[in-house]
Amino acid sequence: MRKLIVLSLACLLALTFTTSCKPKVKEVPPPPPQAKEQPRVERVEAPQPVQKPQLSEEEIFLAKSLDQINKDKPVRMINFDYDKYTIREDAKAILETNAAWMKKFRTAKILIEGHCDERGTEDYNLALGEKRAKAAFDYLASLGIPADRMKSISYGKSQPLDMGHDEGAWQRNRRDQFLVIEK
Amino acid sequence: MKTRQIIATAVLAATALGFAAAGAGASARTPAPAAGPGPQQDVTMTIRQGMPAINLALPKFAVGEGAQAVADEIYGILAADVKYSRIFSLLPESYYSYIRPLDRSNIIFKDWESINANNLLVGSVSLDAGGDVTFEWKLYDVKPGQPMKGKSYKARKEDLRFMVHRAADDLTAIWGNKPVFATKVAFVSNRDGNDELYLMDYDGAGQTRLTFNNVTDYSPALSPDGKMIAYTSYQNLTAGLYILQVYEGRRLAVSLKGGNYSPAWSVDGKKLAFSSSMDGNQEIYTADVDEDSLKRGAFKIKRLTFNGGVDTSPTWSPTGRQLAFVSDRGGTPQIYTMDAEGSNVQRVSFGGSNWHDEPAWSPAGDRIVYVARVDEVFDLYVLDLMSKRISKLTESNARNESPTWSPDGRHLLFTSNMKGGITQIFTIDYDGANLRQLTTKGQNKFAAWAN
Repeated sequence: MRKLIVLSLACLLALTFTTSCKPKVKEVPPPPPQAKEQPRVERVEAPQPVQKPQLSEEEIFLAKSLDQINKDKPVRMINFDYDKYTIREDAKAILETNAAWMKKFRTAKILIEGHCDERGTEDYNLALGEKRAKAAFDYLASLGIPADRMKSISYGKSQPLDMGHDEGAWQRNRRDQFLVIEK
Repeated sequence: MKTRQIIATAVLAATALGFAAAGAGASARTPAPAAGPGPQQDVTMTIRQGMPAINLALPKFAVGEGAQAVADEIYGILAADVKYSRIFSLLPESYYSYIRPLDRSNIIFKDWESINANNLLVGSVSLDAGGDVTFEWKLYDVKPGQPMKGKSYKARKEDLRFMVHRAADDLTAIWGNKPVFATKVAFVSNRDGNDELYLMDYDGAGQTRLTFNNVTDYSPALSPDGKMIAYTSYQNLTAGLYILQVYEGRRLAVSLKGGNYSPAWSVDGKKLAFSSSMDGNQEIYTADVDEDSLKRGAFKIKRLTFNGGVDTSPTWSPTGRQLAFVSDRGGTPQIYTMDAEGSNVQRVSFGGSNWHDEPAWSPAGDRIVYVARVDEVFDLYVLDLMSKRISKLTESNARNESPTWSPDGRHLLFTSNMKGGITQIFTIDYDGANLRQLTTKGQNKFAAWAN
């Protein structure tokens, strides 16, 4: 009995097939492009070595401490004649370099320190040192450095560079020194 | 030496007191050789010896129980003050052995007269149970055998020096002298590594530090009452002018604009003159100091000089109507005077290329002491404003500077590197006598006497 059901079902299936499957053009899908079966080689590249960022001079400047900056004495000292506070020709060139430096590092502020040799009284040398500091201040201002980036002070004869007592020492001690106080 | 001639010796102390000068000192005057352009002034070099003053007999004091050590200390301090005074001259102790010992209940003045005593001081010292010291003195005028004045003091042992200095001031006040011995001297020392302000007694005792910071403190000027010090302090990289109220420990800013240096008090203590670059150039200014401005910490500031050069080192005349100062307006630093309002400027020092600097007006108003630089040697000179005569006060072959007068005008303080090149504070009398060194530790400078 079960065989009979299976047979009839099969016939029925066969019937439906023969009726629906009319002869037609057999569509053959194009063979897929044959990938070349080769062993896959993976290219391994190490990550780029960490490059130091290309810092601008300004960034380098800002990264340094004030002490480090001043150690290099970026703003150069100028000297004066005895009992004088006029800017000498040789000092003008130095101040121009200093002004260029100040223009390059636009955030820097400087202290201009006026110093004197020992051949003067404490009182007078304080005033004379003040005039020397002011002379450099004015000259730098004339070169376009804003006044609010400069400050002047006098140390009189209290901080000699050279402890000698001859013209060489005195000349070295008659000076304006520049200290970077803000960056 | 050139021509020497004896000039009449006006012994200041003696004449001022109406005393006949006994045994006048010898003076030598040498006209200076003509040097450099400019008007010439005679430089008078004065060498005075022996200062005749009032011969004071100072026999040992009567001593209470257990007070011998204290009495000896008091005697030592008083004797030193008296010697320093230039009003009294202390009789040598050996003279006392020529006469009968002092009997306090019956003083035989003839005896004291016989050893040339003009005045006789009889003193006594006692200690009480609490350890306080009592010192009593009575001064006698020997010739008439009359008591002149007496006083008694009580003090704690630690205030002994001050007590004796007060007694010495009271003693010299009898002869019209201004207090000197109990006054203080402000100065700058780097003995602790940094330039700080200090205070000491006139004789160098009791050196006490006043400021504690890491910046330079400079140019102290003691107010006439000794309670305030005007000074320059380099706080925040600015050479600002401050007033320190010494006994309150309070600091007030007077000017923080530009560089501010060389303050000087007027004699009434109401004005402070100083040099400042607050308007760009180094000029002289005054600040009004009174109760109100001290309370508010704000000072009215007035500018006195207007020229392109350096103007600095102001010093007041005792009347407060004039100032002397230094200016390089004539090419080199020279001394000028002006009225207190800034008008009537007159040059008072001459001498070609030599610098004349750091003037200090004498308390009597008749003289100005200053520093002259001649061939790299700095010495003190005194200009007599009436006669225009100049006398040389120091002869050191070194750098003597920053002179300041004692309140009575008989002494000066100054700084010098004459001993081993290190700057120290010295005292000298108005006539060049009695040079004494007051400081030894570190470098010491900018001595300022309250006057």
